[in-house]
Amino acid sequence: MTEVAQRKALALGLDRLNENMRNLAELSELAIRKAVDSLQHVSEAEAKEVFEVDNAMYSLQLVIERNCVDLIALHAPVARDLRTITTSLKISTDFDRIGRYSKDIAEISLKVGTESPTLPEKLGNLTRMADLTIHMVDTSIRAFVNRDADSVRDMGKFDDAVDDLHDELFEELVKLMENHVLRVSQGAEYILVNRYLERIADHAVNVGDRVVYMMTGEQPRHAAPYFKKVDPDGKNDSNLT
Amino acid sequence: MDYQQLFGLHPTKMRAIDVSAFYGSKIAIDSVTLDIPEKTVTAIIGPSGCGKSTFIRCLNRMHEVVPRARVSGKILLDGEDILVQDPVQIRRRVGMVFQRANPFPTMSIYDNVAAGLRLNGVRDQKILDERVLRSLKQAALWDEVKDELNSPGMRLSGGQQQRLCIARALAVEPEVLLMDEPCSALDPIATAKIEDLIYDLKKSYTLVVVTHNMQQAARVAEFTAFMYLGKLVEYDRTQKIFENPAEKLTENYITGRFG
Repeated sequence: MTEVAQRKALALGLDRLNENMRNLAELSELAIRKAVDSLQHVSEAEAKEVFEVDNAMYSLQLVIERNCVDLIALHAPVARDLRTITTSLKISTDFDRIGRYSKDIAEISLKVGTESPTLPEKLGNLTRMADLTIHMVDTSIRAFVNRDADSVRDMGKFDDAVDDLHDELFEELVKLMENHVLRVSQGAEYILVNRYLERIADHAVNVGDRVVYMMTGEQPRHAAPYFKKVDPDGKNDSNLT
Repeated sequence: MDYQQLFGLHPTKMRAIDVSAFYGSKIAIDSVTLDIPEKTVTAIIGPSGCGKSTFIRCLNRMHEVVPRARVSGKILLDGEDILVQDPVQIRRRVGMVFQRANPFPTMSIYDNVAAGLRLNGVRDQKILDERVLRSLKQAALWDEVKDELNSPGMRLSGGQQQRLCIARALAVEPEVLLMDEPCSALDPIATAKIEDLIYDLKKSYTLVVVTHNMQQAARVAEFTAFMYLGKLVEYDRTQKIFENPAEKLTENYITGRFG
């Protein structure tokens, strides 16, 4: 293959990868939206749609992995091309995990739906948590699709807000169970939903970090030392690297 | 550029300061300033005609061999300007291997390796034997030719001839070895042998490799310089150049989006 033909093949391969990544990202957003809808409106149809979306996402993730391996093996990409491929490889797993957690939420909505027709009004924070998480997923996906590193630089702030909300909601759920407003079986499921949403937000942060790396070459945040020795008293905390 | 930070523990072996090279009135290298660290491999990449071969030919004063060619600026070897020293002595300290293997056609394998030594006045057979043995071993050729040292060098394969030329360059015990596209005429197996050899040689020598093959630069070099139109565009750790180059021009060249 001539050098020009090879370059065209690389460009076409990158276009194909980008198209697949875009589809995967959109599916992950669809999955979380439908999962939250199914929980809020106790919609069995929507819950089942999430299962289908999750299956499609898994298949697409395998295709993307193949795309990436082929591009690396055949074209020895460098610089931004290489960063695009490694980023796609990594964040396709994040999208897949978002799909998987969405499926878990949809499963819970089917379970709790038999006991209560709508999300208890007292769980306003769960709705807020879901909205914020969806916003983070949406922001990170748009950043990836539009190749916009600036829009995800402050994802950490949203993540902190989600973490705070997660802790608050956990306390609330425990109280609701203690006061018998929620049955333990129901409350435990909402605690899991709370946890899944918090994890989804973490994956959105990962995607954002990777978009920054893809566009700028800057290593992701949290570049903490590889190995940290923690002093039990916290007085002489020392890093070993 | 803070070379000390870039090179880490490697001291600077050669230093080009504001070096320009000309062929008559045509400028081939335009004010290049670049340090070369000791006992490492520095790759020079760039499109054809960018001046990379001319640049390394300046480093052992081969450029001036071309009629009407001249060099300006300073080129320091261990801190001393080579442009004001005896070129023959400089070429002994800074050896060169060319794109096409060029063994002396009428000489045996042994004589090819010993040629430089003899030219430098070494006559003692024992010393010659030792140096030929050591050089052929260093060039990873000894095992393949030890039983046919008196055969003509031209009888070897292309890859072996190139390693013979490397052995010939090593025989005079240079400090720096310049390689001008040393694998461009070789098949992948012979190329892999030369690359392995480059990897081993950097333990003892400072190497500067001009290559068109960017993957080769990525594989063998710790530092990579990108030249374009006679100028040095970017010089950094090889990982940095190939993962996240600072200059758009470098990025366009290494990703093939050039012109």
